[in-house]
Amino acid sequence: MSTTRKRVYGYLAQFKNASALYKAAEKVRDAGIKKWDCYSPYPIHGLDGAMGMKRSILPWFVFFGGMTGTATAFTLAYTTQVVIYPTVVQGKPANIFTVPAYFPIMFELTVLFSGFTVLFGLLSLIKLPRLNHPLFASNQFHRATDDGFFIAIEARDPNFSTTATRELLEAAGGANIELVEEED
Amino acid sequence: MAHHHHVTSADIAINGDHLDKSKVAPIQMAALVIAAIGTVASLYLLFFAPVKLRAPFAYSWLFAFYFFLTLAIGGCFWTLLHNVSNSGWGTSVRRVFENVGSTYPWMFLFGLPLLCPQVQQYLYEWMNIHRSAEGVRSEWLHQHNHLLYNKYWFMNIPFWYGRVIFWGLGLSAVIIGLRRLSTAQDTDPNPGTARLFKARFHSTYTLVIFALTITFTGFDFMMGLDYRWFSTMWGVYLFAGAALNSMAVIVLVTTWLKSMGHLKHVTGPEHYHLMGKLMFAFTVFWAYVTFSQYFLIWYSNQTEETSYFLIRNTGNWNIAMIALMFGHFVIPFVILLQAWLKRNPKWLSLMAIYTLCMHVLDHYLITIPERGVSLGGEHMSGPGFEGFVQKVSIPGAFLGDILAFVTIGSAFVFFVIRALGQHSLYPNRDPRILESANVSN
Repeated sequence: MSTTRKRVYGYLAQFKNASALYKAAEKVRDAGIKKWDCYSPYPIHGLDGAMGMKRSILPWFVFFGGMTGTATAFTLAYTTQVVIYPTVVQGKPANIFTVPAYFPIMFELTVLFSGFTVLFGLLSLIKLPRLNHPLFASNQFHRATDDGFFIAIEARDPNFSTTATRELLEAAGGANIELVEEED
Repeated sequence: MAHHHHVTSADIAINGDHLDKSKVAPIQMAALVIAAIGTVASLYLLFFAPVKLRAPFAYSWLFAFYFFLTLAIGGCFWTLLHNVSNSGWGTSVRRVFENVGSTYPWMFLFGLPLLCPQVQQYLYEWMNIHRSAEGVRSEWLHQHNHLLYNKYWFMNIPFWYGRVIFWGLGLSAVIIGLRRLSTAQDTDPNPGTARLFKARFHSTYTLVIFALTITFTGFDFMMGLDYRWFSTMWGVYLFAGAALNSMAVIVLVTTWLKSMGHLKHVTGPEHYHLMGKLMFAFTVFWAYVTFSQYFLIWYSNQTEETSYFLIRNTGNWNIAMIALMFGHFVIPFVILLQAWLKRNPKWLSLMAIYTLCMHVLDHYLITIPERGVSLGGEHMSGPGFEGFVQKVSIPGAFLGDILAFVTIGSAFVFFVIRALGQHSLYPNRDPRILESANVSN
């Protein structure tokens, strides 16, 4: 017997297919569980609705990220082309009315900053990259990348209970229900 | 996003969802009467009125004709794109695409006056020069107008007529054929996938006809207003506006049909969201292309090219051009960014109306500023032209613009409603109808 201390991560239950997972997700959502997730080998349309997920805050990050890009590009172009070193090209004015010449840069930096905000905003919201996940302790969980459909309800959910949560998953059609423990 | 009800074949009207013609008859009749009266008045103004009225009205007619032609061409585009991209999402609204596209042959008929030299003389200076040539035309041009001599292989009157006839017939055949293929499925007792694949195949090469039509109707009718001017972005610019605004029309037609209880199970917020995304995408695309055109001309600063923007930055046209930039791009860009708005039929329809208003401004600025400079130009001098000399815009001529717009607009409404009433409002026996009804994004 192992001597390491273990902490309960939560219950893991397997479902037959995407449709069963979808229906089970609706039941878990309606039971008021907040700390849980679905695992599937591929994206399932509408699952976010079945899980009762709120819209991500990410678009707002991206909006302001993009605006920062626009402002950065304008400042960069205006400062270098008008303030520091006025450059007269083709008889164009070197003042605010040169702004069409800055549009390509403003456009590109808007796209670039938006792209970076998407990437890094998403990674931080989903807390990736990480070295390990407690569910990796389960022997069946690797099937989530192949043909397994799972729901995991975490023990830190206020409504978690060793009996009621198990019953909830059973009632939702879950099979191979296991209590996953992580090493402390 | 959440689904409330999974649509099954039990929800699909087996014999189709048909428009109650008696219900829409008053609107359809009113549109027809206005179009008929307007057409008679317009024909008078185009051919028989004094020069003072006739010359400006030629521009009014061109503006209104081309505005509604872009909406019809856009309907053809969405039909073709849906078929060729093997799409599943839009099957529920594909019939609306086809019905908007099916107005193309009728809308093209309103261009017939532009084929008459009596109207052309006020619009196309190059034709006047060609017609005034003595002896062999190309030889004469070689001596007198080298620019037109260089462009002779493309800009010559017989080829112009040949092209225009092809634009009229070609895309008409495409949309009539595709719509017929689509509607034949509605009543087939053994509907299979054959028509789906056939439509997909025939939408490939016919997409080329569409691309040539939107590009070169733009060249032949619009860019030809000033034969010295050219822009390689022109076709793409007109295409962007056409695709965006016919999608706006499609949104409005869908909302109108839903308000009468049609398309009940097969369309919902998901479809509005998708159509809203396309409107958003083409709002950005329009800005991208429009700016590219402006930018290249502004930067290279060549006399033949800058005339377009010089005319439109003179006098009050400049205010309208700046309003276009904000009104056609900045404002709708920020508003259409919001997902909830695109999913809301009422809000998206309001945005569609707004977008169409901006399309009016866009096309007004494409066509009408040319009127003052052309009719006031030296080559037009003569009896009847005294009032036009050195005018940025011609006072009072906007009344003719409104008349032409209302006339052809009423005809457009009439032909859209007529098309809606001919067949089921959605392809009820299409193999992808359930996929489309249950679409989620």
